[in-house]
Amino acid sequence: MLETELYKAATLTFEEMGFLLPTPEIGEQQLNAQVEAMVSVEFKGPFSGKLLVRVCGGLLPILAANMLGEENVPPISLQYDALGEIANVICGNILPCIAGSKELFCVSTPKMVESIDLPPVAEIQVGLGLGRADLLLFISSHPVLTE
Amino acid sequence: MPLNILVVDDSSVMRMIIIKTLRLSKLPLGEILEAANGQEALEMVDGKWIDLALVDINMPVMDGEEMINRLRENPATADLPILVISTEGSETRKERLIQKRVGFIHKPFTPETLRFAILRRLGGLDEQNAGD
Repeated sequence: MLETELYKAATLTFEEMGFLLPTPEIGEQQLNAQVEAMVSVEFKGPFSGKLLVRVCGGLLPILAANMLGEENVPPISLQYDALGEIANVICGNILPCIAGSKELFCVSTPKMVESIDLPPVAEIQVGLGLGRADLLLFISSHPVLTE
Repeated sequence: MPLNILVVDDSSVMRMIIIKTLRLSKLPLGEILEAANGQEALEMVDGKWIDLALVDINMPVMDGEEMINRLRENPATADLPILVISTEGSETRKERLIQKRVGFIHKPFTPETLRFAILRRLGGLDEQNAGD
């Protein structure tokens, strides 16, 4: 359930903001792709947690260029900001699926991260071009999901 | 008449995406102003003619909802057309915003969504002739 909603939110966002369509399957090259960047957005409301988005295999510059409509590769700082915005939008879309549409959440500014600490409650991979995006959802205080 | 549009979002990338989309929309654009939060936006609006504000909700310093409240309280900006562009998924907050006479665009959005939402909000524009 959570994985399905996360996948739907992720593919919609990558398609509409990044003009990247998910590949039907994830091949070996995509699975072995090197991690380029990780970004997380934290949320607080009826429960708290964070969404981490990790891109691999040359996706980051393509994603940023597509989002900004640039033919040339944008500066690395803009590439990170673009990934942060992707994470922010996916997070905003997944929260009502978990909590219902009446609940209010505060979503923080995205930040770059280098490591993963807690075990995620949901994790998915999306094949995009020759690379992939990994999405990990962490929830620290939810009566059902963290059991 | 060209439209002066104020884009308010704390993400510079999102402002760039919105402005890129506006330029693709074939709407008659005048000056496009950018602000990174509600406070900056209020300072820009003061004494300047703006036809439309595109506003994010979650921003530091002053969020979009407080900014909208301030605009509505000021007789000079009380009727400014406003479109909220946000990831906000809470129906509670959306209903609160709609009562303040704002339109709502959910991220992610397509250029077509943005274009038609602007046309609908501005009302007086001829949807048949504004872009095709």
